[in-house]
This record gives sequence, structure tokens and C-alpha cells, in this order.
Amino acid sequence: MSDIYSIVTSRQLSYEQKVVALAHAAEDTLSVLNVPETTRRYFEQGVICNLNEGNAPYRPRYIMPDYEKAVRQGVKFLQLEPPRDLDELLTFLQVLYRHVPSITTYPVFLGDIDRLIEPFIEGLSDDEVKRKLRNFFIYLDRTITDSFCHANLGPQATRAGRLILDVDRELEQAVPNLTLKYDPAVTPDEFAEKAIYTSLCVANPAICNDVLNSRTNDRYGISSCYNILPIAGGSYTLTRLVLPKLAAMTDDLHDFIERLLPDAMQCMADYMSERIRFIVEKSGFFESHFLATEGLVERDRFVAMFGLVGLAEAANHFAPEGKKYGSDPEADAIAEQIMQVIYDFSGRYECPYCEIAGHRLLLHAQVGIDSDHGITSGIRIPVGDEPESIYDHLRHSARFHRFIPTGCSDILPFDITGKQNPAAVLDIVKGAFKLGQKYVAFYASDSDLVRITGYLVKRSEIEKWNSGQAVLQNTTQLGAPTYASAHLANRKLRGV
Amino acid sequence: MRVRKIISQSTVDGPGNRTAVFLQGCNIRCAYCHNPETQAMDDPEAREMSVQEVTAEVARSIPFIRGITVSGGECMLQAGEMTELFRAVRQLSIESGHPLTRLIDSNGTIQFAEHAVLMSLCDGVMLDVKAWDNAVYHRLTGAKDNSAVIQNMEWLLRHDKLTELRIVCLPGMVDVETILEHIAKTFDSIGKIAPVRLLRFRPHGVAGELKNHPMPTDEQMARYTALAQRLRLDVSVR
Repeated sequence: MSDIYSIVTSRQLSYEQKVVALAHAAEDTLSVLNVPETTRRYFEQGVICNLNEGNAPYRPRYIMPDYEKAVRQGVKFLQLEPPRDLDELLTFLQVLYRHVPSITTYPVFLGDIDRLIEPFIEGLSDDEVKRKLRNFFIYLDRTITDSFCHANLGPQATRAGRLILDVDRELEQAVPNLTLKYDPAVTPDEFAEKAIYTSLCVANPAICNDVLNSRTNDRYGISSCYNILPIAGGSYTLTRLVLPKLAAMTDDLHDFIERLLPDAMQCMADYMSERIRFIVEKSGFFESHFLATEGLVERDRFVAMFGLVGLAEAANHFAPEGKKYGSDPEADAIAEQIMQVIYDFSGRYECPYCEIAGHRLLLHAQVGIDSDHGITSGIRIPVGDEPESIYDHLRHSARFHRFIPTGCSDILPFDITGKQNPAAVLDIVKGAFKLGQKYVAFYASDSDLVRITGYLVKRSEIEKWNSGQAVLQNTTQLGAPTYASAHLANRKLRGV
Repeated sequence: MRVRKIISQSTVDGPGNRTAVFLQGCNIRCAYCHNPETQAMDDPEAREMSVQEVTAEVARSIPFIRGITVSGGECMLQAGEMTELFRAVRQLSIESGHPLTRLIDSNGTIQFAEHAVLMSLCDGVMLDVKAWDNAVYHRLTGAKDNSAVIQNMEWLLRHDKLTELRIVCLPGMVDVETILEHIAKTFDSIGKIAPVRLLRFRPHGVAGELKNHPMPTDEQMARYTALAQRLRLDVSVR
């Protein structure tokens, strides 16, 4: 009761944040999931974490509407006819985005926006298109006040894609998060170089290995930070295994691999199955939400993300003294052994309602939360432990990215000389992708916009927040402590 | 071969991402040299490396590089060793299945025409045109005149081996406008073109009289660029 009262009377929370917090508080008064004692203990110990998804899930965590279908057929519930020109399209999308739920309450996926926009710009000049796109992007940034919202480009080059990159560079916004789906056989070098140049100006777009990520689903989208999920579907849930907390319970790697890890994974998988069942069988989402009833999402295109975080710290815990994940073969071998066990488990465990994933949970490199201290994102190398050579860094990533189908990434600050030779940066991306690295994002050492763990924040906004001022975007509030605690300013600068 | 340094990841030594091999020893002494430690052939900081050792270093950059650039110092002083290196790197590209272009960065004082085998293994030369007027050239480099450089420029252009021309811009020391005008005339008379890169002088690493000399201003660089564009040269600035 007092928690609810403190939400109601808070001076720090905005109105919208109060509404969301109250919804959470109400949801968490319920105990409708069957959570056995062992699982509860893992939650208390911080080994399993549900990332604040709530006790009674009433919508899937991540929703990936089929926007192209919506544009073709209209949306009856929203009384939207199929748009006939660019103005109608942009209004259509703005309205539709407003009604797409997610864990953040904002849409986490905005679609393949260059493909959505391209058919509507014929006959319009570049200046005219850019003027309308600028207004559209400003609308997105000022109303979706959360940079976990992701729009996709490519892999084909389009006029719309080029104009979007130009506008994004001009506006310098944290929203939307942008990724170019890159396939060297499809994406012209010149377009990819333009994308890389843009990223060295405004930290957007990231570059996604389209060939490898298409194996997760041939019709996938990138959402939230870098989640690879089926379009016209999404993910019911993301729960994460906090590997360092589990590793801390034993000094014996064998004990960890044979006893602790299997037990914790079983508990977490069962817990996720409970959540999936509740969403599908009890919440009524798929029976009543217009996205489902109008076929813009299909229940059997949803997956469930089995997240893990802190692989580095877990491996380092068992490695010989001073040997570190990222630079020592022994620590890396331990990490690979741990990943193989987790991967094999995910290949065996049968979960309900995940038809599109063959009834299997899909691994995800969870990006961390603001309260994580001494826990590195996903399967990344901790800041400060990066190998001297960028090539070794990317080779290392490729070795571990192969285990992760629903999202993993590297974030690399790059020297500003990269702006004068984006073709060189593209060569590095091509090499990395060839080796199996799945997703990379660059930002320049001097840029205000910085990619935190997957989402964008302005350093100037972080300073405002740290000095006690209000900020527009939730993700600034999340990013500020993470930027400090994960020492992100000390990420190894590449290209020097 | 006498090697000063190998930089496995360079964005500034030619097209794309490259591994840059800097050889020790130079036959001129440019006042604006930003790595004067590469000039003396017998400098103790340089190391003797076999072609296999250098090639093994290059191999570690596969598949991230578009190719290698050999620079220095003046790498043509070790033209024989460079020939063997290019042969080995060509073999490496075949065996690894990863194409590797092989470029030379040179001051143009040694005649490429006399190194046919090297040229057959080389994909292109990035040629420094340090000055055009002989007096300016002598004052800047200590060398007698730049006739060899001009001959090389023409030869490389005719044989489609001129990857780019590089001009370090430093008003008062380098006759940039004269260089640009004569480059344009040469392109017209031969009927071929090559990209021209204007490099802003930077005092970092420079010893001697130009140690604390300021960089050219943005206005000065803009004037040079405008002239190059008027001369219809494919120009870029760094």
C-alpha cells in the first residue's frame, strides 16, 4: 500500500511513468504463476531475473507487427484505410505505433521503414520527402520517449533508405534506434558506406549480419536493443540467467556444469513456460487484441527468449588466476564449455506455444540492466579487457555469436578518421561477418550520441540527468548509471 | 628486409582497410617528414624481418583487410625484397581465398620502369608529388630535382598503375598550385586521370625547422581544393 502511495505522490516520476508504475504494482499483487520453491530461491539470489516483466503477463514482451500487411489492408480497429500517399502513410504509421504494446509500453519495432516508405515517394522531390521525414522522425523522438524503439533498413539500397540516413544525420536523435540489415551480396558498398558514415556522425544505424540472422527466421526484424525476432510475431517473454551469481555458488567448474547450471536452467525454462502459458491461455491477448484479430501478428510466430548475462565474469570466476575472457585461451575455453551446455539445453527443452522455433527456447545475449554492477552485457568482453587488435576482438565475438539466435552485438567506438574512409570500416565489417560475427555498431569518439548497451543516449542528456535536471527520455535515466558503472567511456577506441 | 613497423589496421594508407608495412630507410630528407625515425637505414629500432615473417603478420589480418600497402621511409630502396613480399602475399591471397591488393606508397625518386617484375606484382602506386619547381623541391627534400618523380608519374599513368597522387599542403614550403596545374596538364596530354589527395601538413612527429609550424588553415585548404576542382581533378582532402 505504501509503495503505491509513494508512486502516487512521487515528485520524480512523470505522469506516464506513474501510470506505468501503478500498472506494475497492480499486476504484482497477483500470484497466478506456479513458481516452485527452488525457482523462488534463484530469484531471491539474483540468479534468475525476469527483467520486471510482472507477475501476470497480459501481453507479449516484444511485439513485431506486420506493418507491410497493415499498410496493404488498413487497420479496422483503428478505423485506418490503406494509405494512398506519403502524408497518409506517415499519419497511418504514427497512429498504429501508438497502439503497439510492449514491455516498455512503447513500440519496440517500427518496421522495415525504408521499404514501407519507398513506394510512396515516387514523384516527390528529395527536399519534399526529407521535410516530411523530418517531421515524422521528430514526432517519433518526442512521443516515443524510450530509445528501445527500433526501425530497420535494407538490405536493398533504396532512395527512401538514403533519405532516411540523411535526415537521421541532420536530426541527431536517440529515437528511433536504427539498424541496416547488411548482406554483401545484396547491399551496394556505397549504401553500406553511407550507413557507416552516418553511424560515425550519430551512432545510428547499427549493422546487422542479414545472412546469419535470417537463419533465425527468414522474415525477421530487429527490435528493442538488437533483438532478432519474427515479423508478424515477436517474443512472449525474456527471462535471464545471471551467470556470475550462479557461478559464485561454487568454485568447482565441474559442479557448476553438472549440477548448478542444469538445475538453474531447468527452473528458468519451467518458469518461462508458465509465463508463456499464462499469456496464451489466460491473458486473452491473442483473442482480443486487434493486432492478433486482424492478422498483424500471429500467435504461432512468437518465440521465447532464454537470456543470459555476465558470461565473462562467470568464465573468469573458474579460470586460473589472472586469466581473462577475451584474451586468454583457458578462460575462453571455459566460456565456450559453459555456452555449449546452455545451448544444448535449449536444444532439448520442449516449451509450449513456440512452434516457429520448433518448440524450443531461443538463446539471447541479454544486454544488462541499470542495476547490474560487475556484470557484463550478454556474452561481451568487459570494458578494459578488450584485445589489443580489433580483429581478435571480432574473431572472439564470432566464436560466441554462433550460439545466439535472438540477438547479440558488439559496440565499438571508432576514431573520427573512419569518417573519411567508411570503406575501410566496411571492410572490417565484411571480414567480421564472414567469420560469423552477427551484429556491430559504431559511434565516433567525439559524438554526443552514444550507444549504451544497445540503445542510444546523448552524453549531454546524461550530464543533465546527473546534475539533477529532468530529461525527456526514460532511456537517459537508464543509460546514465550504466554509462558510469560499466565504464563505457573507457571502451577501447578502435581505428587508431 | 628492414622493417620499421607494421600497422595491421589502417584507414589512411590507401583504399579500404589495409595492413601497412613501413620499411626502414629513406633516400631524401623532407623538412615536413612526420616519421623522421624511418630515415636512417641502420636505425637500431628497426628490425630485420624475413619475407615469411612479414607475410605471416599480414595473414593475421585476413579477412578484415582489402590489401597491404608498403610505405616507409622509402620502400623502393628495398625493391628486391618488396618483390618477394608481393609474390608471397599474392600466394597468400590464393591460398586463403581472400583477395589482397598490393600497393606501394613512394616518393618517386626511384624509377618504377626499371622494376618490371615488381610492377607486375603490384596493383598500384600512391605517389608523393612533394613539389613541382626544382628549387622548391630541393629546399623541401634536399634532393637535386624532381625529374624522376615526374617521369614516374607519367610512366605509372600510362601503365595504369597510378592509384593516387599525394600532395602535402604547406603554404610557403610547397608550391601546391603549380603542382596541381601541371598534374592537370599531364593528365590532359596522356589522356588518363588519377585521384589527387591533398594532405594537410601536421606538425605531429616532425623534427627540425618545421617542428612547431602551424597546419594550413581551412581557408587555405579550401582554396587548393577549389583550384583542383576548377582544373577538373578528382580531388579529396585529408
